[in-house]
Amino acid sequence: MGKNKDNGTMDSFQKWSHSWGRIGTVIALVYMVAIPFVVLSVFDAVPSFGEVFNVATFSILLIYIPVGISEAISYTPIMGSSAYLGFITGNIMNLKLPCAVNAIKLADTDQNTPEGDAVASVAIAVSSIMTVIILAIAALLSTRISFFFEIPQVKTASNYIIPALFGCMTLGLFSSTSSGDKVVKGGVKGVLPVIIIISLLALFVRITSGGSLFGMVGFLIIGSLPIGIITSRILWKKGIITVEDNPQVKKNE
Amino acid sequence: MKEIISSPLLTGMIVIGLIYIAAFSLIYLKKAYTHCLELGISKEKLKTVIKSSLFFSIVPSLSIVVGLFVLIPVLGTVWSWWRLSVIGSLSYETMISSSVASAIGFESSVQMLEQATARQFGVVMILMSVGMLSGFFVLIPLGKKLCMSVQKTENASTWKYVLSGVFMMCLFSVYVPVLLIGDTIQALVMVTGLIIAVVLGILSSRPGLKWLNDFIMAFSMIGGMVSSLLWVKLFS
Repeated sequence: MGKNKDNGTMDSFQKWSHSWGRIGTVIALVYMVAIPFVVLSVFDAVPSFGEVFNVATFSILLIYIPVGISEAISYTPIMGSSAYLGFITGNIMNLKLPCAVNAIKLADTDQNTPEGDAVASVAIAVSSIMTVIILAIAALLSTRISFFFEIPQVKTASNYIIPALFGCMTLGLFSSTSSGDKVVKGGVKGVLPVIIIISLLALFVRITSGGSLFGMVGFLIIGSLPIGIITSRILWKKGIITVEDNPQVKKNE
Repeated sequence: MKEIISSPLLTGMIVIGLIYIAAFSLIYLKKAYTHCLELGISKEKLKTVIKSSLFFSIVPSLSIVVGLFVLIPVLGTVWSWWRLSVIGSLSYETMISSSVASAIGFESSVQMLEQATARQFGVVMILMSVGMLSGFFVLIPLGKKLCMSVQKTENASTWKYVLSGVFMMCLFSVYVPVLLIGDTIQALVMVTGLIIAVVLGILSSRPGLKWLNDFIMAFSMIGGMVSSLLWVKLFS
């Protein structure tokens, strides 16, 4: 392994991904934004600026904008150079990211390495094609198959995809820390303040309103990252979080 | 509004867009697959990754189809199909579908579909198209830097190894307490998924059941989701 590694920088695939992935993403974005304007122009129905951006519609943008920023900052370092494809095809948390994590684990590679990025890209590309095909079939057959997807049990189970994913990913999180050449010891200590703060907040909201912070996760992640990074940095400097050679890899060698 | 959502022009543009997305994915797949081989990852391992990714993607994709049928009465088939195939996320698109009608002055989504003018639907289309761009204002200029900041190379400082894990740890440190404390059913579904994953992990170490290892995540996700029916029955 490591044939194409470019020490200290990126390997050929990562470089390709960061340049062509970016270009491909920009083309897709321009096209996506152009669609409504082209269609509305033909129907002579382009709304004015004030009709689109006003106090009432601000509530919609309030959902989209922070979520988009939070996802980009928190998911890109996890997905590596496969992030461009992941973001352009969407459904990251409920599909692309777990799929990438699963693939990295199956291929015995490590996150944020040339191998990990390439394997994650394979998984995300396969997953994206699969989703495009399934959605196309569903849209084309929508009148015939809608009854199945409107069954209450199917709807209920679909609402719980994120908790179900986190159940299995929690196990994957622990096993993924032991893959790769190095292993981080005590990494969880760096996010302990985050766990405590979020737990207290969640408990407070549950007790006071009976509700959940689930809809606020995007904001919470963006607020938690600086806390997690700073605490981890301090603990790493103090030698409480350490990075050691992975004994599993040494044994295999 | 109806003439726009069922227009051949919109359908045509969306089909072209989806072909582009599929082609983009195929190019990525070919490039990444070839590079994996160059890096010494065996064809067998890649076959396992592809098989598992395909299988793993089915259930979440079917959940997205459920979302599609939630959005169709609000936005029509073509626009909903497009939104869930690109950028959009199941949870946020469905959340928005419930608020979009009131934002443009209707009492319900059904009323919006029946009575909205073409210009009003235009507002919805533009809002949905530009709103989710915010992430790309971070990804496009900073994506490379964000990846480089955690890139593990032979001479990298050990801090990069720690930092690389912090993002994933933070994600879990937020989601896990929110799911466990915020909602009983979500907590039970999560714990069920975890237990199934542990059990399958143990089973997969037995001879003859090694294949299970490739599908642990997929099976535990399906098991967790199915268990929600029981938990809802018991605790709702």
